[in-house]
Amino acid sequence: MNRKSIQPILRFSLAIGLVALISACATQAPAPTENRSLAEQVRAPAAEERSGLQVYPLRNPAVTELTEAALAAEQAGDLDQATLLLERALRIQPRDPELLQHMAEIRLERGEWEQAESFAGRSFDVGPRVGEICQRNWRTMALARERLSRYDEAADARERLQACQIEPPTRL
Amino acid sequence: MDVIRLAPETIRTRRALDGWNEPRIIPLAHPPDRGAGTLLCVLRRLLFHSLLFLLGLGLGLLGPWVWWLDREAGRRFADRQWTQDSRVYARPLELYAGQALDLADLVVELEHIGLRSGDPTRPGRFARSARRVELHAPAFPFPDQPQAAQRVRVDFEGDRVQGLSDAAGRSLSLVRLPPAELGELLPTGSDERSLVRLADFPPLLVTGIQAVEDRQFRHHHGVDPRGLLRAAWANLRRGGVVQGGSTITQQLVKNLFLSPERSLVRKFNEAVMAISLERRFSKGEILEAYLNEVYLGQDGAQAIHGFGRASEYYFGLPVQSLAPEQIALLVGMVRGASWYHPVRNPERAMTRRNQVLAQFRDTGLISPTEHDRLRERGLELSRSDQRRQRPNAAFLELVARQLRQDYHDEDLRGTGLKIFTTLSPSAQRAAERGLADALRRHERQPGELQGAVILVEPSSGEVRALVGDRQAERRGFNRALDARRSIGSVIKPFVYLQALAQPERYSLVTPLMDAPIEVPIEGDEPWRPSNYDGTSHGEVALMDALAHSYNQATVGLGMELGLPGLFRLLEQLGVDPGPARHPSAFLGALSLTPLQVAQLYQPLAAEGYSTPLRSITQVVDAEGREIGRYPMRLRPIREDGALALLDFALRHAVTDGTARSLPALLHDDPGVRGKTGTTNDRRDAWFVGYTRDWLGVVWTGRDDNAPAGVTGAATALPVWAEVFNALPSRQLNRQWPESLEWFWIDWPTARLANEQCPNARAIPFIAGSNPTELSDCFEPASTSRRRRGRNR
Repeated sequence: MNRKSIQPILRFSLAIGLVALISACATQAPAPTENRSLAEQVRAPAAEERSGLQVYPLRNPAVTELTEAALAAEQAGDLDQATLLLERALRIQPRDPELLQHMAEIRLERGEWEQAESFAGRSFDVGPRVGEICQRNWRTMALARERLSRYDEAADARERLQACQIEPPTRL
Repeated sequence: MDVIRLAPETIRTRRALDGWNEPRIIPLAHPPDRGAGTLLCVLRRLLFHSLLFLLGLGLGLLGPWVWWLDREAGRRFADRQWTQDSRVYARPLELYAGQALDLADLVVELEHIGLRSGDPTRPGRFARSARRVELHAPAFPFPDQPQAAQRVRVDFEGDRVQGLSDAAGRSLSLVRLPPAELGELLPTGSDERSLVRLADFPPLLVTGIQAVEDRQFRHHHGVDPRGLLRAAWANLRRGGVVQGGSTITQQLVKNLFLSPERSLVRKFNEAVMAISLERRFSKGEILEAYLNEVYLGQDGAQAIHGFGRASEYYFGLPVQSLAPEQIALLVGMVRGASWYHPVRNPERAMTRRNQVLAQFRDTGLISPTEHDRLRERGLELSRSDQRRQRPNAAFLELVARQLRQDYHDEDLRGTGLKIFTTLSPSAQRAAERGLADALRRHERQPGELQGAVILVEPSSGEVRALVGDRQAERRGFNRALDARRSIGSVIKPFVYLQALAQPERYSLVTPLMDAPIEVPIEGDEPWRPSNYDGTSHGEVALMDALAHSYNQATVGLGMELGLPGLFRLLEQLGVDPGPARHPSAFLGALSLTPLQVAQLYQPLAAEGYSTPLRSITQVVDAEGREIGRYPMRLRPIREDGALALLDFALRHAVTDGTARSLPALLHDDPGVRGKTGTTNDRRDAWFVGYTRDWLGVVWTGRDDNAPAGVTGAATALPVWAEVFNALPSRQLNRQWPESLEWFWIDWPTARLANEQCPNARAIPFIAGSNPTELSDCFEPASTSRRRRGRNR
């Protein structure tokens, strides 16, 4: 009985915790842009501009555990391990936009531009298409396309990025 | 056997050694005779001198011989490279709360891992009740992180995991079970080993083997004169060989370097080499080699060497998880693996085990109370005969082929690779059973039909199950990989995809003409395709032509688009269809394997992201270092809008078209999409169906390609349904691409309607491709003329 009533709260707080964790790594280290890793370049501005409508799906605690471990591996510079952990999480939730975007950012870090673009695109397709995650999607695609010298498409992506910012509906 | 053959020079040296004995014996046998003549005297002197010469030669050779033995022992021990089979593992099952998983399926998975019913306080056992499974998973060295043995309680609610907790009742969010072993890839033939590091052996085994085989092991220098004397004394008293007196080092030398013959010379060589090993290597290195080398029985033609393999063979457990009495049994078998064989001679094995337990007690390794308790336990063997039948042979073949793209055979054979694959044992079982059961029900004569099934997780492209024969354990022709068969109407979605990728010309409601058609063929009679039911259906909506699989409408559409475009599309999707020749290819007159068909449909099921089908995720070497990684790769298909329309049409085929018998066969239809295929004279029957979680391809037909009386809907589709019903499925939740817009259509005309029209249907269109003509039932006053939405 008790467990049932606690679980949704737990899940929600885990989801909040994860968001806090991701934003923390952005706000705590205000490194100059050129020194930031590519993944941080994608995440940081999106977290800073988090004013519009935000949509965060509730996370499965198993996925949360794997994502946090992937984030820790990433920060320790072990991108192989981070990839492996995210793949495990994706086997549990193959259509989770947050996971797909995280994978896109790891691929960006590894210099796998095409894969970064693909994963970000897939994240956008299955994602909320607004808010922070949408910005990270298009920022990743823009960066990847620039590296692939597809400048026109990169400019498109920058334009799409602006459309992610939707003001939250005013509630009465 | 790892007996190293002695080189020819060794044999020569041996003869010289034998010669060394002669001078001592022969002079005694022929005492000098003083009364002989001069000739005799000369002869005698000659003989004496030559004997003296031989003696000198013998003595002179002994030194080099010992030196050579010493050097060889050191060199061979350092260079020894044991061949180890490359092992293949299934995907490890990850358990988490909320997971779609049956209790029965979990039990299947546990049994594949090697767990069996019993007291879950002991590793390798599980206990099940109505809604709970308590299990004790053995340790497993995952390459990313070695995992200790753990006790887990899994609570179920219906066909879902409700929660996980550890032995203390603490809730767990994620549990990764050890992977099931699928068998060996390219078995090496004679030997079976799994090397274990000394630190990874259970302490009782390491101390126990010394207590039983060589109590002075820590102190001696390779040979143990006191032990030898004690053994000799015991043998003398009892009038026969009752004790060996060989040290662990001597036994190792014997097993590694020498032939099994018993002779003084061998004994001498053994002692020299044992002392040599002790001089050059640590006790730890010697003991580790011994524990991995010692002979512990036969598995058919294969010798079982080492405690690691023996533990897996006799108990189905990694050596780390052995209980004390199991350790005692194996330690006892060292003295004679076939004499004390626990299966063939269980009573003898039991007596020997209890002797060993008593020795453990006498040396203080176990307490007297523990000894009394352990003696009472049965042998509890868990040999699975599965290994000999080579299950999963079809899937392993796919693994071997994908590995050969990156490695040479000699790198794969005997190097002890660990290959982590994507196979799901429970899905594999569902596929095997589904095919066997459904074929039996749907064939004209028993045993007439054959079939193949492939199950894929669409978004990652991971192959979860592969069946290449209705008798899955049979090795031989692998139809899933090698049967190139005509694919029939299974090709049609790709003809229509070509059309839908041109939204300015085609949409789902574009009228097509299903009427007799004549296609001129250069140098041949014109081709006149007919429909399956022999009638033409006149003007039909594009989506209906596909769903009902009308041939004439499809050929008409194909001719507008051209054959090269279709072949380019197939290539783009990762399948080489061969050269394009005859327009009958629009109706599937081209031969592909079931695996290729799965590759074609993968991007459809994965919402427009193509990925190569893969069976391997990771390869690590014998030391656990990663040497190969096969990460998930995505490639967006440019025509994602067209793919989404096609997806919608393939749902229509299941609800209203040729696959409409499917929903009634399913326990639960989460929105399956599918396409049937039947070839000329009913030789081949295909069904391809998918949800977000599973893509399944089924082929059935006769091996001799004779008419088999099969059809996609009547033969292949029931197999698919049977398989799918046994799989855990989740809800379908399609996210439509941004480029789609939805309109009410006065179905099946190409006219706009509104919600109130009796035939109104919501149909997706790529933006701008919708019809503009209004239906008669359209009421302009209506509020919602147009419906936009993404989620449906």
